[in-house]
Amino acid sequence: MIMDNIIEVKNVTYEYSEDNISYAALKDFSLNIERGSFTVILGHNGSGKSTLAKLLNGLYKPTSGDVLVDGINTKDEKTELEIKRKVGMVFQNPDNQLVASIVEEDVAFGPENLGLEPAEIRKRVDDALKSVDMYEYRESTPHHLSGGQKQRIAIAGIIAMQPECIVLDEPTAMLDPKGRAEIISTVRRLNIEKGITVVLITHYMEEAENADRVLVMNDGGIIADSTPKEVFSNVERLKNVGLDVPQTTELLYRLKSAGLPVNTHVISIKEAADEIERALHSEDN
Amino acid sequence: MPILEVKNLSHSYGGNTPFINDAVSDVSFGIEKGEIIGIIGHTGSGKSTLVQHLNGLLKPTEGEVLLNNENIWDNPKEIRKVRSRVGLVFQYPEYQLFEETVYADIAFGPKNMGLAGDELDKRVREICKMIGVKDEYLEKSPFDLSGGEKRRVAIAGVMAMRPEIIVFDEPTAGLDPAGRESVIEIINNYRAATGATVIVISHSMEDMALIADKIIVMNNGKLFMFDTVENVFSNGDELRKIGLNVPIVTRVFDELRGRGIPLPENVFTVKRAVEEITALKAGERNA
Repeated sequence: MIMDNIIEVKNVTYEYSEDNISYAALKDFSLNIERGSFTVILGHNGSGKSTLAKLLNGLYKPTSGDVLVDGINTKDEKTELEIKRKVGMVFQNPDNQLVASIVEEDVAFGPENLGLEPAEIRKRVDDALKSVDMYEYRESTPHHLSGGQKQRIAIAGIIAMQPECIVLDEPTAMLDPKGRAEIISTVRRLNIEKGITVVLITHYMEEAENADRVLVMNDGGIIADSTPKEVFSNVERLKNVGLDVPQTTELLYRLKSAGLPVNTHVISIKEAADEIERALHSEDN
Repeated sequence: MPILEVKNLSHSYGGNTPFINDAVSDVSFGIEKGEIIGIIGHTGSGKSTLVQHLNGLLKPTEGEVLLNNENIWDNPKEIRKVRSRVGLVFQYPEYQLFEETVYADIAFGPKNMGLAGDELDKRVREICKMIGVKDEYLEKSPFDLSGGEKRRVAIAGVMAMRPEIIVFDEPTAGLDPAGRESVIEIINNYRAATGATVIVISHSMEDMALIADKIIVMNNGKLFMFDTVENVFSNGDELRKIGLNVPIVTRVFDELRGRGIPLPENVFTVKRAVEEITALKAGERNA
């Protein structure tokens, strides 16, 4: 079967330079993102995650190598708008992303710039707000909303552009646990129901639990690329690059080190309880 | 006698306008010297407004704040002295770095308190040693540091004033796990070295279980609970009603107890959880 990739990153090096000193944030980096998939990217501060995110929709152009979005090279300036429409970006701080004083006007900002008919804009704005569960707030003022609600408005603004893919760069870093849960479930639903490809960059390991694929970046390269359970079961490797594992995995890892016959390939609370229950009842050891 | 006491504190934003909004209402609590207090609550629950009263950045609309039994607003001209006794580390404090060198940035606070010369130099170097800012960093521009290092320098700037009480508003937000761990270590080091009282706002129940002695839970501007970590996290259902939760490891134990496995309720850290499970397993083997 031929893989259908929405994004192909081919041998990309990206250098920042300042005062004649250049520094490669990504080195000969390659990655394919399959259409319709949900990928989580983990890595400590400075591992190259955010640089990668900005390369995916052409905000940054590779120093060498190519990034193809739906087959189009991001280096080509003529297709810049098309790429930004295909790949939407959501950033960390919701307050920096909202431009209008009324929620629905904010969401309409993108479609208006596409030059669509008013009726079409209306429809897209309503659909987008419904898809992030914020339709009832359409006439509210963004600054009266919670962080999680503001971030969902930012996502609605992207959805209204009908993108193929959404890249979210630490969208929950400034939110409380409830706001974080709202964003993760919203993004997951958009992925399943609308088939939108999702690339989620985060520091919170729990947010990777339901991903199809987890990538761990370190020092401008990929050091792990697999399912969440597979990636998190390697506790030592993650700790070596300054990352953590979900608390459930940590618990099972330490129980295993203490000699209990448990499998560390689990993330959810229920699975962790299953493993501990089994180990407590087992006769061996 | 508590070192810090908050009595019937209320704060309204937008007074005398139709948009009047009670951010904090009728909050009272007392904190003993040397305690580590956690504050939890969802966004907009009044946590940040509350802590800005503790060093006089905000003046209560009603009620009072007592520091060593003295109302901090008894003498409004002296309120700046309160700000060096109660240090406040804001969210994303690294955004407030502004000096040309790390040294100058850390020295800024103590200098404003009137320290100079050798005394000032000693103060800056002591704090750097305490929290692990290396000598070779002192002459660097703070803007050349990584995110985690910048935050460490910003925190050092507040600690250099040697506050008796130090308040952190989400000190680990936006940091990776290694950065989060190092900030928690800095807080513990400062407290061990100075005996200071520490107040930490956090969204991480897991971090709270590791560092706090007591927890203040805020909800809709009101004090929802103020009790030991153990008593607060024993009320999982109440916490979930207001959008909070107990640590993940506690939820695993709740699930196991629900299945009839005899594990205790008061387990909030991975370390304790491992001890309890291995003890239970050993007990079964010996039975």
